[in-house]
Amino acid sequence: MRYSTKTGFSMLLAAVVSLSYQAVRAGDGKLSIDKVYAAYLRNSGSIIAKNQIKGYFFLYQSDKIDKHTNQYTLQILDENLNKVKDIKFEDTKKLSLLESSYNGNTISFLFKNEDNKTLDMKIYDFDGKLKYTYSREFDKKTDELMKEYETRHTDEGMNKNVFDLGDRGYVSVLPMRDGKQRTYEVDYYSSVTKSQWTYVPTDDEEKYAFAEYMGCTDSLIILQVEKRNHAMSGKSSSHIVGINFISKKKQFDVDYVNEDQILVPSSVVPLEGTNHLMVIGSYFDKGDNIDKDFSKGMAVYEITTTGKILTKSYNSWAGDFAKYLPTNRKGKIDDVGYLYIHKVIRTPDHKLFLVGEGYRRTANALGIATTVLLRSNAMGVTKIMVTDMVIMQFDEKYKVCYAQIYDKNDNTATWSNVSDYNSQHLLATYLKMTGAFDYEFTTGDEDNSNFSVCYSDWVRSSDYKGQTFNTIHYNGKKFTTDKIELKSKASTMRVFPAKSGNVMILEYFKKDKRLDFRLEKLG
Amino acid sequence: MQRPLAPAFCLFFIACCGFAARSQTRDFSPVPQDTVLLSKLCTNYQQHYKEELSQLPPTNKKDFQEIYGDRWKNIKEKFDKREIYTDADAQKYLDALAGEVIKANPGLAATPFHCYFSRSYIPNASYIGEGIILFNMGLFDRLANESEAAFILCHEISHYILHHQENSMNKYVTTINSEDVQSRLRKIKNSEYRKSEQLESLVKGLAFDSRRHSRDHEAQADSMAVVLMRPTRYDPAGALTTLALLDGVDKDGFDLEGDLQQIFNAKEYPFKKKWIKRDDGLLGGHARLKEEEMSDSLKTHPSCPLRIKLLTPMVKGRNAGGGVVDPAKFAALKERFRYEVIEYAYASDDYAESLFLSMELLQARPGDGYLVANIGRVMNGLYRAQKAHRLSKVVDMPSPGYPANYNSLLQFIQNLYLEDVASISYYFLGAYHPQLDRVTLFKAAYEESGRNLKEQ
Repeated sequence: MRYSTKTGFSMLLAAVVSLSYQAVRAGDGKLSIDKVYAAYLRNSGSIIAKNQIKGYFFLYQSDKIDKHTNQYTLQILDENLNKVKDIKFEDTKKLSLLESSYNGNTISFLFKNEDNKTLDMKIYDFDGKLKYTYSREFDKKTDELMKEYETRHTDEGMNKNVFDLGDRGYVSVLPMRDGKQRTYEVDYYSSVTKSQWTYVPTDDEEKYAFAEYMGCTDSLIILQVEKRNHAMSGKSSSHIVGINFISKKKQFDVDYVNEDQILVPSSVVPLEGTNHLMVIGSYFDKGDNIDKDFSKGMAVYEITTTGKILTKSYNSWAGDFAKYLPTNRKGKIDDVGYLYIHKVIRTPDHKLFLVGEGYRRTANALGIATTVLLRSNAMGVTKIMVTDMVIMQFDEKYKVCYAQIYDKNDNTATWSNVSDYNSQHLLATYLKMTGAFDYEFTTGDEDNSNFSVCYSDWVRSSDYKGQTFNTIHYNGKKFTTDKIELKSKASTMRVFPAKSGNVMILEYFKKDKRLDFRLEKLG
Repeated sequence: MQRPLAPAFCLFFIACCGFAARSQTRDFSPVPQDTVLLSKLCTNYQQHYKEELSQLPPTNKKDFQEIYGDRWKNIKEKFDKREIYTDADAQKYLDALAGEVIKANPGLAATPFHCYFSRSYIPNASYIGEGIILFNMGLFDRLANESEAAFILCHEISHYILHHQENSMNKYVTTINSEDVQSRLRKIKNSEYRKSEQLESLVKGLAFDSRRHSRDHEAQADSMAVVLMRPTRYDPAGALTTLALLDGVDKDGFDLEGDLQQIFNAKEYPFKKKWIKRDDGLLGGHARLKEEEMSDSLKTHPSCPLRIKLLTPMVKGRNAGGGVVDPAKFAALKERFRYEVIEYAYASDDYAESLFLSMELLQARPGDGYLVANIGRVMNGLYRAQKAHRLSKVVDMPSPGYPANYNSLLQFIQNLYLEDVASISYYFLGAYHPQLDRVTLFKAAYEESGRNLKEQ
């Protein structure tokens, strides 16, 4: 390897690490630096920009200053795991770092200060100089909800609450609870001037609202908001909400219930080169209960940035999808079951791909035996299996034109009594919340001209028995597959998302007490 | 002052031209490594190391054993990784270069040492312990004459005979175990607050002291080298030209991105600008980080201009000429080493370096059979490694610490998808088919690239 003008940085994710000092040896009974000093890793995570991993942060407690104050070292690594900055600061000893985001000019860090009960957004420039600090209070109930909120995604390593808004600044979407009311707040933090504001939904029907960040345009923060009239109400409605971060006002809030169909949005994609947005989701007949009834198919709407619908396209399970997949009218595919859509990808040549994963309910022999013999239904008489991956392609008119099933092992997702009573839609939500799907994440070029859909599997074959990490790669023309067997000389091997087109492979060698990280390109 | 062209230099120039002409028809093939010899040498040095261990001072013995153990580990690696060049002809020449110094300085016979060529491309030489001096090919091939090579040897011999390394190790162990340092460490251990601040102050003091000694050692080795050169037939002025060379050794005048666009632009698979796209921001691997100003007191080496200034009075008035032992052999080895470093980079799984060096040399020697074949071989190796998810084992990741050109090459490799690697290799080699089919390495690389492309 080429001689470097700087010493290479080897990343060791250990609870106790030496930060700045070489471990100096000394004889028996004598002291050495590693015997008198240790820095403790408090938090680590990814730095995200435009939904891509751009780097990593490590927050170390590097010293104690007094009874209430610690010295911290915030170490920033670039997307290739090179150490590029150490930021030292003093703060309360009850500090944790929640998330970080990057917008090309600045890096933001959302800290939780349990001493002051504040969430502190700190924005740094590239020289490690603190540009702005924004604080807002939190209470215990908010904190509990934040923990709950964190489980609502399966894209491991990606941000849950903090997102970049291009070079203007950052946004955080936080779940809130006020008495019986469950709602959300949107905080905007400028990285250009010292400016911050909070959007609080005020509508009555937003008393029980759960918001998820979908993306942004040059002026809009786009959320998907699931609303209920009542905490225990069986009926919910799904909305797309646009908040204008220039005017600081809600620009639109639409639920797409028309004369014949109800659209339940699951993704919103800003359309490059236009002011339009594409909304994708399942559709139901008017009058259906979206929590209990089966969806009729997938719909794609093109809307303006005021929420006005420009085009609508419906793809029914029974008609359109059945041309490419063995689908019945309830959307059930032979041997695959029902589909949960994990990702919507639009390529520069305007092709639209949907990444789905099958799930189905099957009889649980052990649960049936337990129910009959012990008169206990704790295990449930059915269990949920997650099945194959499915890639579907839509043409420029948003009509399905291709679909391919990628076989994987049917893996048990849950066998509690949850599987006995819930509808397909609620089951899918439950599986996503508990991280039971095998889908891991999607990585690729920023413009999606190349992308890899990643998922885990468990293989039982004569050649190999164990866990595998799989990718379905699209190179702009065709799909190919790739597989990493996770059984190696290492005691443990795991795969994490990394910079575009790469994964981070972690290997732990128990005998040597060694933890190796490396970035590898996907094939 | 410019020296007149000496007859010896003319001979050397003719020899170079002769070789260059021959290289058009005779393609380079690496000298096979003598593994039996490497193993035998390693065993002998290990015996020497064990004897050395038994003579270590009884105080702080464990620390001494550990630090000498680390040094031996590094030496052993040089043999295990076949870094030591075993070609008998080159070794004979190096022995003759050193022999001239020993002959003129009979006192050196009492402290025997051994010089070897290292196959490393890094422009460096080093005394690594157990009486072993390594002369990297990457430095040798940049030198202008035998006097410059002699200065390098004499500088390392000086480190050896002045026991610089052993003295540093001794000082390190003694200092760390001293009552002063131990009491300061005890005080820090017993502090509840601001331990890091106190340690920083202690470490800075130790580093200051250690680096001052290191700089003193370098200056001493320079002076002693000139003293050793004086009674020889070498020109001590070689010391000044060598130091001037070392001052600019990190610079390369090579437009790598332009070269990539030129050589990998096949009609069937044109170059794509996105292959060299990079993010210059803080987190993209190409950031221009503000160098923390390292004060002179914390540098391990004095600067080259300062070293030249210190040596100039010692070499004044001497002008004995650069060639002494065998200028033609000197030139021939320089030529050979430019290829051997490429081969060794590939053999030691440093694919990016092998590719970089091949491209750099191919600019000056377009159509060279070995270089073309090696570029294809490396691209095929990248394909295999990426497919097996082991690319990081054979190429570095882009880093702000690397020189800009090398970093651009690393980014290029990172930007390629598997189908790009297969196609680039196949169409690049295809441009030289069938002209270079006579080169075995080329034929094998071309066939492999064809198989890789078919897989896509």
